[in-house]
Amino acid sequence: MLTRMTRALVLVSLCSGGFVHGATPESPAPSFRRDVMPVFFRAGCNSGTCHGSARGKDGFMLSLFGYDPKGDYERIVTEMVGRRVNTAVPEQSLLLLKATGKVAHTGGKLFTRESEYYQSLLHWIEAGAPDDSGAVATTAGVVLSQDRLLFEKGGEGATLKVTAQASDGTTRDVTKLARYFSNNESVAKIDTDGHVTATGPGDTHVFARFSRFTVGAEVIVLPAAAGFVWPNPPTVNFIDELVFDRLQKLRIAPSELADDATFLRRVTLDLAGRPPTVAEYHAFMSDSRSDKRARKIDELLADDAFADVWTALWAEQLRIIGGNYAPVATYVKAADAFYQWIRKQMRSGRPLNEFVAEMVDASGSNLTNGPANLYTMLVHKPQFDPSAFAADFSQVFLGVQIQCAQCHNHPFDRWTQDDYYGFVSFFTGMKRKPGVEPRERRIYWDTSVPPAKHLVDGRPMPAKVLGSIDPVPSGGDPRTALAQWLTAPDNAMFSRNLANRIWAQLMGRGVIEPVDDVRATNPPVNGPLLDALSKRLVDSKFDLRSLVRDICNSRVYQLSAQPNASNVRDTRQFSHAHLRRLRADVLLDSVVTATGVPRRFNGFPEGTKAVEYYPRESGSTEGPHFGEPFFATFGRSSRSTICACETKREPTLSQTLHMAVGDTVRDRLAAAGALKKLLDAKATPDQVIDELFIRALSRRPTPEEMSDLKALVGDAGKDPAVYEDIFWSLLNSTEFAFNH
Amino acid sequence: MRKASEVFVCGFVGCFGATLFCISAHAADAAKPITYDDQVAPIFKRHCFQCHGETKQKAGLDLSSYANVVKGSTGGAVVVAGRSSASRLIEMITADDPTERMPPENDPLPKEQVATIKAWIDSGLRQNAGSAAESTHGLGFVPAATARFDGPPPMPAGLPTVEHAKTIRPFPVLALASSPRAPLLAVGSYECIDFVDPATRDVIGSLPFPQGEPQVLRFSRSGAILLAAGGRPVQNGSAVLFDVKSGKRLAELGDETDAVIAADLSSDERRVAIGGSGRVVKVFSTEKGTLLHTLVKHTDWITSVAFSPDGKLLATGDRIGNIHLWDAVGGGVVLPLSEHKGAVRALAWRSDSQVLASCGEDGLIVWWDVAKGWPATTKADAHPPKRPPGYYGKIPNGVLDAAFGSKGELLTCGRDRTVCLWDVDGRELKRFALNGEPPPGIRLLPTHAAITFDGALAVCGDSAGKVQSWRIGSPK
Repeated sequence: MLTRMTRALVLVSLCSGGFVHGATPESPAPSFRRDVMPVFFRAGCNSGTCHGSARGKDGFMLSLFGYDPKGDYERIVTEMVGRRVNTAVPEQSLLLLKATGKVAHTGGKLFTRESEYYQSLLHWIEAGAPDDSGAVATTAGVVLSQDRLLFEKGGEGATLKVTAQASDGTTRDVTKLARYFSNNESVAKIDTDGHVTATGPGDTHVFARFSRFTVGAEVIVLPAAAGFVWPNPPTVNFIDELVFDRLQKLRIAPSELADDATFLRRVTLDLAGRPPTVAEYHAFMSDSRSDKRARKIDELLADDAFADVWTALWAEQLRIIGGNYAPVATYVKAADAFYQWIRKQMRSGRPLNEFVAEMVDASGSNLTNGPANLYTMLVHKPQFDPSAFAADFSQVFLGVQIQCAQCHNHPFDRWTQDDYYGFVSFFTGMKRKPGVEPRERRIYWDTSVPPAKHLVDGRPMPAKVLGSIDPVPSGGDPRTALAQWLTAPDNAMFSRNLANRIWAQLMGRGVIEPVDDVRATNPPVNGPLLDALSKRLVDSKFDLRSLVRDICNSRVYQLSAQPNASNVRDTRQFSHAHLRRLRADVLLDSVVTATGVPRRFNGFPEGTKAVEYYPRESGSTEGPHFGEPFFATFGRSSRSTICACETKREPTLSQTLHMAVGDTVRDRLAAAGALKKLLDAKATPDQVIDELFIRALSRRPTPEEMSDLKALVGDAGKDPAVYEDIFWSLLNSTEFAFNH
Repeated sequence: MRKASEVFVCGFVGCFGATLFCISAHAADAAKPITYDDQVAPIFKRHCFQCHGETKQKAGLDLSSYANVVKGSTGGAVVVAGRSSASRLIEMITADDPTERMPPENDPLPKEQVATIKAWIDSGLRQNAGSAAESTHGLGFVPAATARFDGPPPMPAGLPTVEHAKTIRPFPVLALASSPRAPLLAVGSYECIDFVDPATRDVIGSLPFPQGEPQVLRFSRSGAILLAAGGRPVQNGSAVLFDVKSGKRLAELGDETDAVIAADLSSDERRVAIGGSGRVVKVFSTEKGTLLHTLVKHTDWITSVAFSPDGKLLATGDRIGNIHLWDAVGGGVVLPLSEHKGAVRALAWRSDSQVLASCGEDGLIVWWDVAKGWPATTKADAHPPKRPPGYYGKIPNGVLDAAFGSKGELLTCGRDRTVCLWDVDGRELKRFALNGEPPPGIRLLPTHAAITFDGALAVCGDSAGKVQSWRIGSPK
């Protein structure tokens, strides 16, 4: 008779009698954003390899790490009504059956029915799986219970607690909702409950991520104290104090000071882009003044060659290539205008912040206004592409890669899609229109162009600097505000990026490495050092030479490359000098300096150095361009991207072959260069061998080397072929190819 | 049977009038047809000839002569007669991304010019006033002869009592069907199916469905058999045939590992097609229970399958918007129907088997001219939800179900929470808002729509487990 009992479906409302309710009146209704979304994050449901993948997984998609709660709600609840959540029989919801492994699930069993994750989801579904109505407090920050952990030996452990601060001022313990990872598991591991275990000596960071925040704690695991004696080396300036302080904490002893010859070669290669000449060698070696190293540094800093090296570095970074295809706007005259402008700034010692600001805010003709070519060169494309430009811009000037946030909030950093699209809007109005001359383009900001649209909902995102909530004042060209913010002394992102890049150029490794991947999860190996370098740069009014002078004068810069027992494993803390293969252009200039035979570059005037050379093409400048094949072989940046990794320092077989049998060395041995002059001057075998060593390696031969080589020369006396072989061997040695 | 033939006559007259209107509308068009020579070439000349003209043909495309426009570019055709939405040319001039859009480094073409080009394509790519359109199509409806069935329309009687599963709130209406011959609705519930009187909405009998949740309900043409398909998600799935009068289970077909999402019974009652997350459509023989064909072409979940009333074709749709037509008997591929850009939610055949209606999450309703494989009529944004002020982004505007009435009218329901009735030419006739205000944060959605056998009521099931109805015609 039950079936005959009229069940008037239409009159049954959700809240009328007869139905059991899941949520009790006193407990607040579960919130999708606050209670449910974090479970997906913690359980890994919305990670990139699972349902967070751009196309979802097995037919179900979630936004990566939960950047789009609104869309996630629709996909879970309304995309397939009754399937993923079953509000009539909640425990039969596919969401719960899958997560607990009750039905087939590619991702396996993620938690049990007893877990608090299950309960959070169940309560929400029992309440009818409501979407949040009205505003929900968002996570405004996350803090760890400790930001530094020090362990005496492997096996020791500690537990971190994670607290989230909400936008309404409340806090909650999210230790069980956060995800954890370690940057180096051979130093320390962290488990899913935030428990850290030391595994081996070294230093690293462990991280907790919750919502869109990643916070880290430094972990130091000390090597055995037995046998370690701190040598207490003298310090010259703040750099030594901070590096040695760190080394002492880590129980690593720095190497000895490099000898004068090594120092001279190192600093000349770094600051002048070539090895010292014979005259410079003798002058320096015979100088007995105690401050001769500092004097040498000042001398090199005052030389135009220093400016030329930094012009080359900037030109490479800003992707200067000359072309002849009008739409790309990179006509060779434009490239030259840009290059000459940079050189002028470097030579005159223009403060680096002013130098950058002028480029950022530049408009006008690409042929006559050099700095405006930031907008033609940084991204080589027939049409100006604001999103590509914004990504490259932040990577070059801030060392920050924001492009992840184009599609989803950055998973390992603080950048959100709001940050990304707000930043893109600084460039949406950039236009290039034909000028008077055939290949001239006029760079200008078009105020009629609307700002970038947010990917998720198409909302217009007015220009906004990174990390800010409010956009810059509207009206007119927002790049003026961008330039001001970017290069302001209090913008640590900018000054730290510059300081880190300058440090890396001289030390072979950044305090943050890679230098163009600054993010919360890639912290500096020595935070106080980077802070101090950055402060020094700001205090000197962004004077490049001041910071370089401090670095070169430090004992840390002048340490030997020869490791000792305690620092042989260290590659990150600057306990000894890094062996660095010479940059392609410096290597070529070194061959020219050592042999005394110049190298001509097509289209450039006589006497142009390799560091002053940039690629010139007859067509479009899109894609990789090395120019001279030598630069391709030796890994000069192809300028096809702004990535710091474009400059390659790895030795290759083809480099060895080129040096051994290629025309670069071969054609310079017998030519009318240094060797010929020596022989013409009827120098003795001792004198010739001595000078060839100084030319190639900036040192004199050892007695064994001298006696062996003299035996080789033997009676042949003045046979130039033997000396050519000796010179060839020196130029093919790794000692020549490396700065050490 | 007398009553039935009256329906037939009425319907015919009504639609004849509509056909007449169609012809006159076309005649009006013909007076001023949009042609390449008169309206379109001047637009191309102004914006495109510089790169796609006689001197330069970038990408091999020359827009300066009619023959070359039709020939297309090196990448293939750029215009498809009757289908601006499938024409590459329209895609290029309307692209959102300025780096992709044509003409390059320029403002987009004015809206009116884009509309002119679209209209030119949709009206059949005429070259000049003298040339015939590449194609013309109407929606003329000639009802198929109503099958003769003996005896009174089958109604359930004396069904055994069914204990309804205990739920904390009503289960959403995931399946709904209206008997083609009787005042009878079948409504899916949790682990059971209720027979409901459409006028009073009283439950007059229930069938147990212990397999889980019925996802599809379909009556046979005679109204004597009810197909119920479904199951438990990622656990089991099958299709069951019930005798409507006695409630007896006649057969169970398929033994799937996931709930069946789409199913239909052929008009001769000899075949059942089912589909779901397995991406294949399986066709079973109802007589022997054997698997006849496995149709492999879809690359995503099968969301809808429908046999044509004349028994010749089977239409299948999937979750990424593809529709395929198959030979219902042999299982061979006939045609792909591509227009949808989102999941196909429903496929419905008009009783004359000439038109197939499809609807989907992209907001489209398409009336397909099955013989040609083209959309005869397309209704975009058929169920547009209201945009709250200050709200950005796409609001889901899917059309969730579509069902034809016997006179060629179509009833749809969508995410805007309305039920809409369209006439035989695809014009909106009536729209009804769903009743009921859900608690805050909870979405109320119409899940299924149906028209009663007599064309008198529009019926809709919703996500709160209710069935609502509206009067749309006079009861017979």
